[in-house]
This record gives sequence, structure tokens and C-alpha cells, in this order.
Amino acid sequence: MKRFSGQSWATAALIFSAATLLLAQSERGDYTQRNLGALAQPAARRAQTDDAKYSIGSYPLYWPEFPEGEGKSLVTSYCNACHSPRYILMQPPLSREQWAAEVTKMVKTYGSEIPEADQTVILNYLTAHYTPETRKM
Amino acid sequence: MPTIPRRRLLKALSSGAGAFALARLAGPLRLARAASQTAKGAVEHVPAFTGPGANPYWSAVGSVVTYPQKYPLILLTDRPVQLETPRHFFLSPFTPNGAFYVRWHLEGIPSTVDLAEWRLEVSGNVRTPLKFSLPELLSRFHHTSFAAVNQCSGNSRSYFQPRVPGGQWGNGAMGNAQWTGVRLAEVLQAAGVKPGSVQVQFQGLDQGPGAEGLGSHSFLKSLDLSNPVLDECLLAWEMNGEPLPLLNGFPLRVVVPGYFATYWVKSLASIRVLEKPDENFWMKAAYRIPDTPRGTTSPEAVKAGSVKTVPIGRMPVRSFIITPEPDEKVPAGLPNTLRGIAFSGYGRVSKVEVSSDDGRSWAAARLGEDLGAYSFRTWEFAWTPGRRGMHTLAVRATDEKGNVQPEDGVWNPGGYLWNRIERQKITVGAAQ
Repeated sequence: MKRFSGQSWATAALIFSAATLLLAQSERGDYTQRNLGALAQPAARRAQTDDAKYSIGSYPLYWPEFPEGEGKSLVTSYCNACHSPRYILMQPPLSREQWAAEVTKMVKTYGSEIPEADQTVILNYLTAHYTPETRKM
Repeated sequence: MPTIPRRRLLKALSSGAGAFALARLAGPLRLARAASQTAKGAVEHVPAFTGPGANPYWSAVGSVVTYPQKYPLILLTDRPVQLETPRHFFLSPFTPNGAFYVRWHLEGIPSTVDLAEWRLEVSGNVRTPLKFSLPELLSRFHHTSFAAVNQCSGNSRSYFQPRVPGGQWGNGAMGNAQWTGVRLAEVLQAAGVKPGSVQVQFQGLDQGPGAEGLGSHSFLKSLDLSNPVLDECLLAWEMNGEPLPLLNGFPLRVVVPGYFATYWVKSLASIRVLEKPDENFWMKAAYRIPDTPRGTTSPEAVKAGSVKTVPIGRMPVRSFIITPEPDEKVPAGLPNTLRGIAFSGYGRVSKVEVSSDDGRSWAAARLGEDLGAYSFRTWEFAWTPGRRGMHTLAVRATDEKGNVQPEDGVWNPGGYLWNRIERQKITVGAAQ
């Protein structure tokens, strides 16, 4: 009886050490809570008509956040006339001189009608938030 | 996450039965383990911007977004639309239409095309001005099909130092497709180009809010009539055996094999034969490169106004490592396969070499099927890393004209023609 009991302890110890060994070989099952919605699944488009019109509906807009500050509304409204102001965020941080060249290009080359005083406010905003020294987001 | 009253949950946990399953649901109450692996790293996001240093990533930084007829792609801008193809799509020689990158210049891009109204108009200095509906175009001319890489002039602009303004593309503003259409030369012949003509101009359905005559009004591109590439150009209605997605130029797009995509005008509506060189903004001011070897110059030379420029043309030879990606880890002493693509706008890729020691020694990669002079060519390289630690892989391609990728990058104010040897760091772990 005593010998038998010893045997079962030995078996249990063996199972236990095998389990420990397996545990050491890998780690499992680490999960972290995340929020859904970073990329929503698009629904199927509405039914198509069989005429010669090929439509894909509206293109989505993703209005970005802009830092608060003087000139913010001028920047978003003037720039948005021809393109989404996301164009600003896509750029790498640029120097004041480079931003000045961009504003000038929009006015002189592309014909954006921005009064000179507003051009200065826009340039000041871009300098305050989008140069290598000032850019945060 | 499911809400379970705390007291009931604690009771269930203390009872032991089913505790493990509940703990998984319970998030904050889960049984913590001291040493947890960092699966969290897989969902960390890239930063909102890079710079003033070079973009350290293979792709552009930007959110992944969904667009009509498209797989999730990387957003550069939403109006007009600019989307980059993620890296893994380049494992195959043909880029799926749904994954093909998107780049428009003017905000008025077509979202509906009515083929009852749409006509391709051939006009200007021709004997017989012509108009074709899509079925007329298909029935009147021979159909031709070939593979060709379409690469944005500004692909890889985010690696420039110092950085330059413009679309901050990573490496994914490129794609390869099998294009089917009619030859531009046959269409021009049908219209009869009159003597004294110098260029042929293309215009699509896109339009901007700017005043007529400005670059913000129309996107116009022209090629010299003396350019031999005109004989190879297609007017394509099919891409990889399907109609083009609207964002890639439905119903018809110009294909200029070997040339940067700026000439591949999308949603083509008009072809004009010109008696004088095109001086519109998109030819005279934009998409120009320094008239120097490799199109490289310096900010100082630009400032001094001493840089003569010419319109951008053919794509220099390039190659990419697609897998493994930098966050992968491979065991030392075990066989691995590096995979990637190569192409050149000057003709077939004849050789791809791989280095696993940061460019000190090179060995030939095995080339995939030859799908045509202007196609992506896939390559594979069997690699058994010898030692643990950080390794720097590099890849360089040579084309049939003998052009080979250089070590150094280029610099020009437009952010064009990037083609230096690509490198990829990879961690090799101990095998036991």
C-alpha cells in the first residue's frame, strides 16, 4: 500500500514537471482589450441600375483635427476651397520659408484668392504648428 | 466588452469552475501573468507624421481606409484622393486592381461616368477629328495586351533628405497590371496627324475649381510626337482582365510603358494634336527633373536658380525586399526565403543581387517568370542566417541596358526618381 502510494506520487511529480517544462517552452493566451471601429467594414453598395451610368457613390472625407490657435479657421476654409486641409498634415514638418513658398504657390500658381493680410495669418499659423520645431500632431 | 456584475463574477471566479473562461472575458480582472509576451506591439500605430528626418517606414504613414472598389489602403489625402498600396500586395507580380494605389491632382474627380455620354475625342491638328464611344473604339482597332508597371513620379518621396513638400509617399505608389487596349498610334493614324504637329496632349474627366488656363483647372499631359514610346502606348479599358476601377481611370486610361505615371492620364476624354509645345502648368512647371545625371541636384543650386530642368520621363531601375518585414524574427541556422520584386523603365531586369551583410558581399537571386520588359519581375533568395543578432539585408537590380541601382539617393525639389539600393534590418534569434 505504502509502495503503491509512492508510485502515484512519482507519477504526479512527473506530470507536474512535464507541465512545467511545457510552460517554459512557450507563453500562451495573452489578450488585450481593444476598441473596435478603427477601420469599419463597408456595407455593400445599393443596388445598381442597368443603364450606362457607372457610379461608386460618394468618396469618404476624413476631416482631421487641427490645433487651436489664431488662423485656424482661415487655414481650414481657404485651403479647403481646392483640396482637403489634410494636405497640410501629410507634409513633413517644413520651415517657415517652405510654408511661405507653399502659400505663394497656392495664390500665384493655382489662383487661390487669399487677401495678403490673411496670407500672413495663415503663414503664422502654419509656422506655429507645422515646422520641425513646433509640430506636435 | 460584455458587462458582468462584479460580485457575480468574483463569485464565479472563487468557485473555480469556469474561472479560466470568465477570466478571458473579464479583461481588467484577468489573471495577470508576470512575464507576458507583447502581442500588443502588433497593433501599435505609426505616428501621424515623420520628419524632418527621412521616413523610417517602408510605407507612407497614414491611416488605413476603405474606398469604393478598393481594399483597405493607406490614406495620404482624401480630396482629391491619394491612397498607397500596402507592402504585402507586392508579393505577387501583378497588383490586384483593388489594391492599386490612387493619385489624383484635382478635387473634381469622376465618381460617376455615363458611358451613354462619354466619348473619346481626337482633335487638334488632325485631318479628321474623331469621336468614339467605348464600343466603337473596341470594334474599330486591334486589341493589344501587355504587363507594365505604373509608378508615381513621387514614389518614395518621404525618404528625401532634406525632405521636400508634396505627397509623402512611402514605396507603395506603384503597381503592375496587365493592360488591354488599343494602340494610341493606330488611333492617331485614323485621325491623320497633319504636318507641323509636335506633341500629343491628353486630358481626363477630372477638373478643379481653378480658373481656366491654370493648373488648378485642368490636368493636361503631353508627349512629343517624335518620342518612340508613342508606338508602344495603349489606350486601355482593361486592367488585369477587368474594367478599371473608377479611382484608377475608368473607362479608359493612357498606358505609357516604362514612363512614370504622370503621363498615364486617367478617365481619358480628349486627345489633342498640338502644333506648339504644351506650356500648361503640368508640363512647364510641374513634373520636371534637373537635367543632370540621375536628375539629382542640391537645395543650394535650386536657390541659386542654376538648375535647368526637363520633363520627367522613364523610370530608373528599382528593386524591393517585400518579405521578411522588419518586425519579423528568424532563427539562425534555419533556411529562410527572401522575396521581392524588381523593375526598370529602360527594359528587362536582367539581374537581382542580394546582400545579407549590409552590401559588403552580393549573391544572385533567382528571378521569377519574365512577364515582359516593363513588368514587375519577382525574385527569391534562399538565406540561412549564420549567426544571431541584427542583420542588414540589401537588394540591387540591374536592367538589360546595364543600369544598376546605386548606393546613394538622389535629391531634387520635386522629390522624383528615388532608386537607391533598399535595405532591410532583420533580427536573427538563437536556434536553441
